[in-house]
Amino acid sequence: MTPAQAAARHEGDLDRKQVVAAQRAVILVGNPNVGKSVLFGALTGKYVTVSNYPGTTVEVTRGSATIEGCPWHVMDTPGTNNLLPMSEDEQVTRDILLKERGYVALQVCDAKNLRRGLLLSVQLAEAGVPFVLALNMADEAASRGIRIDVEKLSRALGVDVVSTVAVQRQGLPALQARLGEARASSFRPRYDEAIEAAIAEVAPLMPAGGGIGSRALALMALVGDESLRAHLAAHLSIPDLARVDEVRRRLAARYPESLRFVVARQRLAAVDRLDEAVLTVGTRSAASSFARRLGGWSTDRLWGIPIFALVLFAAYEFVGVFGAKTAVDFLENAVFKDHLVPWLDAATRFAVPAGRVQEFLVGPPGVPYLDHGGLLVGRYGLFSMGLSYGVAIVLPIVTTFFIAFSVLEDSGYLPRLAVMVNKAFKRMGLNGKAVLPMVLGLGCDTMATMTARIMETRKERVIVTLLLALAVPCSAQIAVILAMVAGLSLAAMLWFFLPLLAVLFLVGWLAAKVLPGRGSDFLLELPPLRVPQASNIAVKTLARIEWYLREALPLFVLGTLILWVLDRFGGLAVLERVTAPVVVGLLQLPREASAAFILGFLRRDYAAAGLFRHFEPFMQAGTMTKPMEIQVVVALVTITLFIPCIANFFMILKERGWRTGVGILAFILPFSFGVGALLNVLMRRFY
Amino acid sequence: MPAARTERCPLCALEFDASGQGCRPSCPMSSGCRVVCCPSCGYSFPQETGLAGGLRRLIDRFHKGRAEHP
Repeated sequence: MTPAQAAARHEGDLDRKQVVAAQRAVILVGNPNVGKSVLFGALTGKYVTVSNYPGTTVEVTRGSATIEGCPWHVMDTPGTNNLLPMSEDEQVTRDILLKERGYVALQVCDAKNLRRGLLLSVQLAEAGVPFVLALNMADEAASRGIRIDVEKLSRALGVDVVSTVAVQRQGLPALQARLGEARASSFRPRYDEAIEAAIAEVAPLMPAGGGIGSRALALMALVGDESLRAHLAAHLSIPDLARVDEVRRRLAARYPESLRFVVARQRLAAVDRLDEAVLTVGTRSAASSFARRLGGWSTDRLWGIPIFALVLFAAYEFVGVFGAKTAVDFLENAVFKDHLVPWLDAATRFAVPAGRVQEFLVGPPGVPYLDHGGLLVGRYGLFSMGLSYGVAIVLPIVTTFFIAFSVLEDSGYLPRLAVMVNKAFKRMGLNGKAVLPMVLGLGCDTMATMTARIMETRKERVIVTLLLALAVPCSAQIAVILAMVAGLSLAAMLWFFLPLLAVLFLVGWLAAKVLPGRGSDFLLELPPLRVPQASNIAVKTLARIEWYLREALPLFVLGTLILWVLDRFGGLAVLERVTAPVVVGLLQLPREASAAFILGFLRRDYAAAGLFRHFEPFMQAGTMTKPMEIQVVVALVTITLFIPCIANFFMILKERGWRTGVGILAFILPFSFGVGALLNVLMRRFY
Repeated sequence: MPAARTERCPLCALEFDASGQGCRPSCPMSSGCRVVCCPSCGYSFPQETGLAGGLRRLIDRFHKGRAEHP
């Protein structure tokens, strides 16, 4: 069935007055956000119809065009990175290419990201689909110094390649002229012998006559593409299906990784060679080839770990030592304690006449502010505590952390870290897809909880949500944790990190045991490693600080207000007495730590900041005793495992429902105190 | 909601239109939030608006000026 006939068949969806029946058809394919729709609009004009692809909620746009004097049927497809579908959108695109007949494809590629586009081109080539490649956004690529040898690429692929700027209709006439002569690409990535032999065995069994050729279908069947199962079952005999399964099992047994991963890696290697041959970015030099080698080492199972340790150490020195000691000391003491707090105190006493109101705001005159309960300046004063925590303690620490994080992002190391974590997760037996929410959780757990939607089953989503809430500290909390551990001995640091890792692995391992079914793959394109640009780091850090101040400071002030009210009306003393059996008795922490746990529900970094302030004088003076170090480690582990912040908790309720949310809370609360208590006992015995 | 403009994902390097890629309404802090989510890998990052946007424009202008008058 041609796309034109298909259009006529879905008459209920499509308006016949708008879609002219045509003998020739072109299907637009491409990665997401490459300008496909703009090119579709430029080809078809305003007469288009939008309908759901049968059996799905994915929208497919169709239209008509007159190309070189002939009527054409034009179909736009959802953006895809892969013909091995990972989502419903991608499956729709693959199914369109599979089920339609007699079409040519127009692949739209972002010229700024040729490698990603070529990954799809190579799959179209393997599928035997006749296509023309449009290198769109060619102007933006040129302005960034990206030069693509179009002739060479065209020769290598064996198809026409045209540079376009769709929004300005540049290259459109050349593209239209080439569409009529579109041909199947001669490019074939070569896989290792075992895979090629398996393809040769399975390809003859594949159904013929579809839009996708037998080699590509054989590869899809071999890697175990479940979405293709129904198509194969409908077209193959039972013995042939069994033979395909048998070849697949035999092939899978040869590799420690999944076949999908092995095939993707070998295909990517072919794409990289092609990309290397046709692409020039500015001046490629020995430095860029070193960056490629370093990129490879950073995900290597041998070199990856020391490189990760080095990155962690540099971050620790910058955040924990420079940020938490030098910058905090300056802001907290020189700026807040010595100047801002006395200035506000004096200004308030000058503006407000002596009496009850003045005392209510800044306490009785002559009494040190830590000894009274003034609303603005006092033990729990909105300025002397709320703003001081937010601006003088947490802000310098998170600022240095955001700088370090932006460097990791801009250098391209972050996705490599995700690959490293993926390897660790695989050893745990956890699903590879779980890596993304976990790595995102290091930025913000609330956002990461939302990303847990990518997990395939409800059980997986619940487990990832639980691990995020339990053992993955967010960026602000990591920053304060780094600041705290910087004041500890190496042994105490290990006592902090190892139990957390043990909890993460133990809960993850148990989760993997409980979870039914096989794990899915985690495929992430790795951008090249590059030297970070100072201007980019500055802008990114500033954007994060703005976001942090908007989100965190109001909660810091609210938290301080709650503490002030509790203190004013005796609630804090009651709470300290109530929690004393756990906080003082079980965990053997100072009584004041109760307040930190209350604040922990508002923001976990706020809680850690409370502890930081308590132990800061001893850390700065280098007079931390062993019992103090034990207290710091126990408190940090308990607070890290403690219930998530209020925003994350609401997100859990929204995403997973009340029962699951309350269930997670009910598990985490006693679990965190239990681990803290056990750690306290162990440390007092063995530390 | 994030401003409609092209963003580059710091994790997977995808360039995408940020309109409609903001926080989901289910997020309790979505009101006025400038954090965008990459449509490809889901990575979230704050958009460069406000002071950061101003600094970016300043840097771009500086680079442009240097390119025109080296």
